[in-house]
Amino acid sequence: MTSLIIVSVLAVAVLYLGLFKYKTALLPVSVTGLLAAAAMAAMDWDLEKMYFSEMMLFDNYAVAFSILLILTTLLIFGLSRNYFEKISNNVAEYYALMLFALAGGVVMVSFHNLAMLFIGIEILSISLYVLAGIRRKDPASNEASLKYFLMGAFATGFLLFGTALIYGATGSFNLAAIASSGAFESALFRAGVLLMMVGLSFKVSVAPFHTWTPDVYEGSPGLIAMFMATVVKTAGFAAFLRLFLMAFAEASAFWAITVAILCILTLFAGNITAVFQDRFKRLLAWSSVSHAGYLLLAILAVGFSASSAVLVYTIAYSLASVAAFGIMILVSRARGNDHLDSFNGLARTNPFLAFTLTLAVCSLAGIPLTAGFFGKFYVFKVALAQGYTWLVVLAVINAMIGIYYYFKVIIAMYMKENANAVAIQLNPGFRLVLSIVVFLIFLFGIFPGLIANIL
Amino acid sequence: MTLWLIPALPYLGALILILAGSKLSKQMAGIIGCGSMGLSALWTGVTGIAFLSGGREPVRLQLWEWFDVAGWNPGVTLYFDSLSLVFTFVITFVGFLIHVYSTGYMARDEGFNRFFAYLNLFVGSMLMLVLADNLLLLYLGWEGVGLCSYLLIGFWYQDPANGAAARKAFIVTRIGDTAFAIGLFMLFQTLGTLNIGAILAEAGSALSGDGAASWPGGPAGATAIALLLVGGAVGKSAQIPLQTWLPDAMAGPTPVSALIHAATMVTAGVYLIARMHGIFELSPVSMQVVSLIGTITLLVAGCSALCQSDLKRVLAYSTISQIGYMFLALGLGAWSAAIFHFFTHAFFKALLFLGAGAIIESLHHEQNIFRMGGLRKELPVVFITFLIGSASLAALPLVTAGFFSKDQILWMAFAGEHGSLGLWIAASVGAFLTALYTFRMVFVTFWGETKTPVTHRPGKAMTIPLIILALFSLLAGFIEVPHNLGHITLFSSFLASVLPSPELITDSLLMEWMSQAAAALLTLGGIGLAYEYYVRNPQSLAGMKRNTGALQRFFHSGFGFDRLYDSLLIQPYTWLARVNRRDITDSLYTGLARFSIWLHRQSAQTQTGILRHYLLGAAIGALIILTISIFI
Amino acid sequence: MLTQSLFYFLSFLAIFSALAVIIAKNPVHSVLYLILTFFAITGHYILLNAQFLAIVNMIVYAGAIMVLFLFVLMLLNLNAETEPQKPAYIKIAGVVSGGLLLLVLVGALKTVDVSGAGGTTATDMGLVENLGMVLFNEFLLPFELASVLLLTAMVGAVLIGRREA
Repeated sequence: MTSLIIVSVLAVAVLYLGLFKYKTALLPVSVTGLLAAAAMAAMDWDLEKMYFSEMMLFDNYAVAFSILLILTTLLIFGLSRNYFEKISNNVAEYYALMLFALAGGVVMVSFHNLAMLFIGIEILSISLYVLAGIRRKDPASNEASLKYFLMGAFATGFLLFGTALIYGATGSFNLAAIASSGAFESALFRAGVLLMMVGLSFKVSVAPFHTWTPDVYEGSPGLIAMFMATVVKTAGFAAFLRLFLMAFAEASAFWAITVAILCILTLFAGNITAVFQDRFKRLLAWSSVSHAGYLLLAILAVGFSASSAVLVYTIAYSLASVAAFGIMILVSRARGNDHLDSFNGLARTNPFLAFTLTLAVCSLAGIPLTAGFFGKFYVFKVALAQGYTWLVVLAVINAMIGIYYYFKVIIAMYMKENANAVAIQLNPGFRLVLSIVVFLIFLFGIFPGLIANIL
Repeated sequence: MTLWLIPALPYLGALILILAGSKLSKQMAGIIGCGSMGLSALWTGVTGIAFLSGGREPVRLQLWEWFDVAGWNPGVTLYFDSLSLVFTFVITFVGFLIHVYSTGYMARDEGFNRFFAYLNLFVGSMLMLVLADNLLLLYLGWEGVGLCSYLLIGFWYQDPANGAAARKAFIVTRIGDTAFAIGLFMLFQTLGTLNIGAILAEAGSALSGDGAASWPGGPAGATAIALLLVGGAVGKSAQIPLQTWLPDAMAGPTPVSALIHAATMVTAGVYLIARMHGIFELSPVSMQVVSLIGTITLLVAGCSALCQSDLKRVLAYSTISQIGYMFLALGLGAWSAAIFHFFTHAFFKALLFLGAGAIIESLHHEQNIFRMGGLRKELPVVFITFLIGSASLAALPLVTAGFFSKDQILWMAFAGEHGSLGLWIAASVGAFLTALYTFRMVFVTFWGETKTPVTHRPGKAMTIPLIILALFSLLAGFIEVPHNLGHITLFSSFLASVLPSPELITDSLLMEWMSQAAAALLTLGGIGLAYEYYVRNPQSLAGMKRNTGALQRFFHSGFGFDRLYDSLLIQPYTWLARVNRRDITDSLYTGLARFSIWLHRQSAQTQTGILRHYLLGAAIGALIILTISIFI
Repeated sequence: MLTQSLFYFLSFLAIFSALAVIIAKNPVHSVLYLILTFFAITGHYILLNAQFLAIVNMIVYAGAIMVLFLFVLMLLNLNAETEPQKPAYIKIAGVVSGGLLLLVLVGALKTVDVSGAGGTTATDMGLVENLGMVLFNEFLLPFELASVLLLTAMVGAVLIGRREA
């Protein structure tokens, strides 16, 4: 709870910094604040505190995911030096909006009441609608913002309708009360669960509600797309799992089949459509759809091993995405676009970047010795434990397809030449963040026990 | 407990050399490489003394839990007992000497830093192998040394032949590794753990119960696991039928041959079998297989060594043959005898290889022994140390380490509970062959007239390790002396807590004397015969060579195993590959690819970019979901 | 009796005007029908004794939002020619989804047991006083967090609306 307050107050403080034109103080203040928030979140470990008539529950699940969200935001802030300045004069507002979004994310991973879930999602989403459109002169950015907003509003409708039906069936918004209401057989309840599932599926881009993803990612500025792929996706999945774990777990028999179908659809839609994308950003957008599919596998396995699996997976995915999007930003800035051909010869001009991107892409594809391998491994494991062998087989086939398109960029970097490529200059922030990411991907790839047994 | 320092130091050295290798001077790289090894050896000494003086309790050190899956949580855990100590001592100590030697040997090589990085990586992995608490970690070390072996055999990769040799070593050992891996799978399936202590406890309780029948997987299961482990050991230790890679592995730099392909890595198979002895005791069949493999190998390799003209290949075949002795001892249940032979062999074989390296280096990379000769006076230090090593290899009675260790194996072959007269005869013939080919090599190389001039002499960095190893080759045997000659059992009683000692079916003193006398006579006979043919009367040899040309060629080719595998495996395989050029199995994957492309075309159509289509899709999706759940 | 006939009247009005919203060719008419729909729903809220909702619905939806709609429509200058042609598969998809919706509705009607719906039956729940009590006691945190939400939206609106220097 303290961390939530710190993040919210920090956002307001950043707004004030902008008001008084302390532009140089923005980043240090934000970073310090986020570190403090992460530290305060860690203090809540093992306390299992309820807040405000059981509105929020800071259990270990909430703490772990809050810290993950905060630290990911920190990494993204590390890349943001001189980024917003190039886009707009109102830099402080962008930091503030990202912090607001983070506050929404923290609410989403710690809610214990459907009202809180809704408010968290809305805080997160509204910040992002604006952030997607911060390149105001760029039609693509405007389009992204508008599409995201309209689709998001549409999804919110489903979510609210579902919430209302569940309230109708159980008479409560409280997760524990819903879980113990015993109204699982009623059609009202079932329809409510499914509608909430649809609403959340929108937010985490699960097929067939994923269609906005590539357009929005492509139109948004790279750093915002990175934020969407990491913080938003993590928060969305953590909320999804928390809701289904704490409120609907008992009724899993009837929604499991739907999740399984969504999972297959998402896997195929994401991976297959990614195959022939020739723009790296769009490829990453489709890959983010496919990763939603793998994460759905874990939701099928209700139980706390599922939280562990989702945590490991989202950590691995966030790290790899930060690296991949970060290098995409650098390359598209230096070479004019994010076309796969722009990566040609990167291994010769910038071996460090090429290596980092290779590692990130291997982690996304799930190659052993990277964090991503254990992410997939644990997710498959919990799904197998629940007896979804056929689903895991399909998921593995999809992982094979994934390797094909992920490796296209590696091939471009290492095997294709670009005669007039020049080395890309890195600022210290990029160097630091990318080094941290490389280290962590290796660390968690070799010692998965460090994160696998947290929850 | 600071046990972890022992493998960590070489790994740290390797890490520094890999990361900063291109920026370091050769001197610096040498200091890092040797320094980390020296510290590791020193630390082994410290830990060993603490172990010996502190009640000899095994030490288990869990560094961290590797991962935790379905209740199985293999740790990165080190286990230190007397068996580990012997191996760790040999690896770090001999490894350190070879590192020092390498600073001289490789001084003018461009890949100096790379060489030390690989060498350190190898030592780290080898230490991981022998210190592992569970078989998974052991397997990691096992594969790690395999990789380093590949890298070092192909160290001079500019020559395609070296690359081919490296590939051959990698692929042939892979066959064994696969068997080993399957064995691990079966073990895990049977017991649900790969912890060595737990497996041995299970095997021990089965043994003390009603034998293999009470083993969870039944007698057949135990035999299958044991044989699969033997498969792994055979590959790594270059025993028949997977011995063909070792002679070719001599393509690597000579210190590599000394360290990896003689003293340490190739004995990993011996370590594996000794470590897992509990399972072998459950399966008499597998024990017989092991002793049979050892016996055949020692004879075949001994014959092959007789006809080689390349100095390093003679030594390579002798290594195969000596490991054959170790396998024979393992198969006889004479665990500590096998480890004792490993112990002495590591010293004298490292010595011989390093001596050979010094000779080759001095003669400007000439390896053919028939173009050497007369080196006795040219390279006195090398000559004396090489002679000591050869005497130890040939098991010259009473004064060499090799005699005591080999004598123990011979006696066990005769008098052990699994022994037989046949095995004893075979082993004795092997001893005769050993003496013959060893001194053939010595006489041809050091006696006679000079054929190639010595260009330069080895420096101190090379001679000092030779002298130290020579001392060990002479003295290391005296820690275990048969009871009719003095009865010292330091080594076997040291290992007794880990490895059971075999029962003797006869303890007749007379028989033991006779066995020793026969072995001694055979050895001296072999040396005498070599002297007769290669120093005193070379003409008579020429006549014999003419008459037995075919046999010679057969021996020279290592009993034609390479050609056998070529026609038995490689040619049918390439034929199949030629016939199946379009690859039937691959059509599954191309099918998947085609299907993906087709689906991609379909799904790309959904990317219209028009918002209302997206919304329509979403609405239909939501409706379908609702429909399904209402009608299910 | 009076309530019941009012209910039926308001329901008829709501459904009729909702249909008219999508049937009307002229977008301005559509919006006017929509306002009518909102009025009908406001009437429903009053029937349910939900004063607060009724007022909010009237002010925010019928008042503010619809006026905004009208402004936008007048700025856009829509007419029949600018209406895009719908391809065939969109029509098919429409038919499929409509059919499915019908199926779901029929299925739902068959299974739903209306009387079994949980929740409170108290009639004074929608009064402003009671709503306030709940809002400032149990739902204090969501209420406060809604201020963060509104602040976010405000910052965003200013950011998008402001002229770039």
